[in-house]
Amino acid sequence: MYILGISCFYHDSSAALLKDGKIVAAAQEERFTRKKHDTSFPENAIKYCLESQKITIDEVDYIGFYEKPFLKFERFLYQHLQCFPKSYKIFLSSIPNWTNEKFRIIKIIKKKLKYKKDILFMQHHMAHAASFLISPFKEAVILTIDGVGEWTTTTYGFGKENDIKLLKEIKFPHSIGLLYSAITAYLGFSVNNSEYKVMGLSPYGDMNKKTNQYYEKLKKVIDIKDDGSYRLDMSYFIFHYANRMPSKKLCILLDGPVRQSESEVTQRHKDIAAALQLITEEAIIKILNYSYKLTNCKNLVISGGVGLNSVINGKILRNTSFKNIWIQPDPGDGGTSIGAAVFIYNTILGNKRIYELDNPYLGPEFSKEEIKKFLEENNIKYYEFKREKEIVRETAKLIYNNNVVGWFHGRMEWGPRALGARSILSNPCNPHMQEILNLKVKHREKFRPFAPVVCVDDASEYFDCDKPIPLPTDFMLMVYPIKKRYHKKIPAVTHVDGSGRLQTIRRGQNNIYYDLIKEFGKLSGIPILINTSFNIRGEPIVCTPYDAYKCMMGTGIDYLIMDKFLIKREDNPQDIWDSEESAKD
Amino acid sequence: MVCLEPLTIRLFVKRFPLINKMKEKILEFLSGLKEGQKIFGKNIATIINSILLSIVYFIGVGLTSIFAKLFKKRFLDLEMNTGTYWEDLNLSKEDITKYYRQF
Repeated sequence: MYILGISCFYHDSSAALLKDGKIVAAAQEERFTRKKHDTSFPENAIKYCLESQKITIDEVDYIGFYEKPFLKFERFLYQHLQCFPKSYKIFLSSIPNWTNEKFRIIKIIKKKLKYKKDILFMQHHMAHAASFLISPFKEAVILTIDGVGEWTTTTYGFGKENDIKLLKEIKFPHSIGLLYSAITAYLGFSVNNSEYKVMGLSPYGDMNKKTNQYYEKLKKVIDIKDDGSYRLDMSYFIFHYANRMPSKKLCILLDGPVRQSESEVTQRHKDIAAALQLITEEAIIKILNYSYKLTNCKNLVISGGVGLNSVINGKILRNTSFKNIWIQPDPGDGGTSIGAAVFIYNTILGNKRIYELDNPYLGPEFSKEEIKKFLEENNIKYYEFKREKEIVRETAKLIYNNNVVGWFHGRMEWGPRALGARSILSNPCNPHMQEILNLKVKHREKFRPFAPVVCVDDASEYFDCDKPIPLPTDFMLMVYPIKKRYHKKIPAVTHVDGSGRLQTIRRGQNNIYYDLIKEFGKLSGIPILINTSFNIRGEPIVCTPYDAYKCMMGTGIDYLIMDKFLIKREDNPQDIWDSEESAKD
Repeated sequence: MVCLEPLTIRLFVKRFPLINKMKEKILEFLSGLKEGQKIFGKNIATIINSILLSIVYFIGVGLTSIFAKLFKKRFLDLEMNTGTYWEDLNLSKEDITKYYRQF
């Protein structure tokens, strides 16, 4: 039995294919269209999913859609009824999207895919909560928390075997996700894209609740009860009737206007980011403590865009009674295509759970022959390794000698993080590496740290992780303190507060990647690499050999390893494509 | 398009370069016209949509909103209170027929 899950028309369109209870393919549309956070119908991702299993759409038994569009429209209409006439502009700009896309979803699916069977719709937060079904737990508390689905912004519930019950909710406009986005907008970063930058900025601010004046100020914006329920004071926001998020009142409260995107980030901005992070942590920890009291279950599943806040994730097991945590590699809206598919298979149709998502490599891969054909057709000079051991040895040497290496190997990762299939790797021991990477490739804000990757068996030596190391760490979803004695040894991945957003890798998940890290360890004495996404600022992570080569030639990446092929930038003619000009947020 | 032309016409055009030039100009004009029509169509659609949506907004949404406010109906719950803000959801597995619905 094949079930196709689809998520689209909001942000991060994606498709996932489930075969007899196992996810066999999943990808985000942005990787194919090269448009970051692409919202369009995921035609390319669906095509990839079907082709990967060599099936046609006729063999798909069900399609699952990640939300109930008419329920969402009800909320949209209520917003306008409440906010008339202030919402006039947003009404004019949004209605065409509804009439052209969201109201016609069945027609679009049937027409574009020539699909004739059943399409099932589930509530958005149920599609999030369905992450539980691919977790390692038989029973768990489930927390879903994001910007907004149809009406719901936060839920908690309980999952047991095949069943999920979402018990309580908080409704729009009260949303931790939207609060985070509103402050992200206030700080001059893009909404639904740059929230992680605010998270990265927060340790530069005052993380002490007593001395950070913006903590008390932001507390006026949100009322958090002891049971974790909360409500926003909507006089500080205008997102319920305008395209912008913070109101003038919020600007007055935070002592200044909205920051212009390219202007200087001052200490005030950093303190605001810190205050926001503190408040978000406070709300989530309260919700979790309350839901634990009600259920007494030690396992926790988190889903929804706020689940990408890896700083909070890393603090959960230390500040609550939960012992185990699971977050899927893409807890945001992109991940709901997997949720929709597994919810149909396990919960609606009642099939036994047989699958646990422990390997994030669900995207397209390219064979050695395909890559070779690409290189030869484009007259690209390359060297072909004979054995895998040689790739590992030579790549480790290149990285040790402070080269920036593009690493393109196997199936593309599922989710927003590069996890060693489409990654840029470099030496974390070099104190200038952050600067070098920013200069050569990433062109990103100075305050943003780079992430370390370490083999799971070495992680506890370098990082102050929870024990046993939680599985979401494999998906780069947990931030942990780096042990003090290593701060100076791996300066390029040590954030200002001494933390690191590490990825752990287990042998069996990605053997060559694991071996490469170990080999680098033999050379440097530190088995850790910098792992950053293989893209330039403003572009999605690369998908094909063409994307990877183009990215290398448009930036300062020194070497590209694609399967068994080594391509040196200097050996090939420089492309006219200038990443500096293309770099945008 | 050129390839689809009969061979005689192609030979004729080859013999008379002036006609060839005129043909190019005409094709250029026609493609420009087509592009212009597209832009015109889009602009007209935007204007008509805006007019129609404005009518819907001010009459449909506006009147409903005014009447609802007169009767103190709240569409979004914006009030702060002292109790919990959690609301009952109790969402769990339903009959499969309910999942065919978009609401």
